[in-house]
Amino acid sequence: MKSIIGLFLVLAVLVIVPAVDLAFAAGDEPGEYLDRRVIIWNLFFRMMTIAFVVGAVVSGTIIWQVWRFRESHPKAKPTPYEGTDW
Amino acid sequence: MVKLSGHSNWPEWIYVGVVIALMCWVGAEAWEAERLVEHVPADVEIIKVVGQQWFWTFEHEDGTKEIGELHVEAGKAYKFEIHSTDVIHSFNIHDYVVLMDAVPGRVNTVWFAPDQPGTHDIQCREYCGLIHYNMRGTLIVEEPTH
Repeated sequence: MKSIIGLFLVLAVLVIVPAVDLAFAAGDEPGEYLDRRVIIWNLFFRMMTIAFVVGAVVSGTIIWQVWRFRESHPKAKPTPYEGTDW
Repeated sequence: MVKLSGHSNWPEWIYVGVVIALMCWVGAEAWEAERLVEHVPADVEIIKVVGQQWFWTFEHEDGTKEIGELHVEAGKAYKFEIHSTDVIHSFNIHDYVVLMDAVPGRVNTVWFAPDQPGTHDIQCREYCGLIHYNMRGTLIVEEPTH
């Protein structure tokens, strides 16, 4: 079962990548006048937004996991200094 | 499938799905930007750019040659065919986000369409020797003639 899923994943990538390439690639027909500054900087800012969001989500998940693990440890009990009211 | 962990793992699959979706989105955005930027208009004017230690020369379609200065008109599209006679340079007009390497034995192209009259810096962006820092030029965008 797993190998079949793997095979289909590989096949899907092999089909999807050329299909997307075909759909998005610049063809022979003439292009439009455009301001490359706008296109390139917009792409840059969008990529930065995505990068920071992914960074926050990934690091947040790791921090949450580590915190959960730490708190679940039997020895993770408040010290007398911190108080024993728990 | 046998569950070894003994707990539900559906959040992990959501996590994986979100990451894959984000990557697809990023790829599509980049692809689209590249397609737009590489699509050259039909009436583009070709300018031959030659980089050499340590200055830029330009040749227009009508044979006009310029050294260190490039005169273009606002509202027109220009395609640079970038050559190098010695080492690798990089042709950069920072204000218009034009950046393309000049590699000996190759012709690299990049196009842009200046929209407003003005003066902009041209600078080599690949370290090419002693006077690389001063391998500069000026882009002068003039009012359209018609």
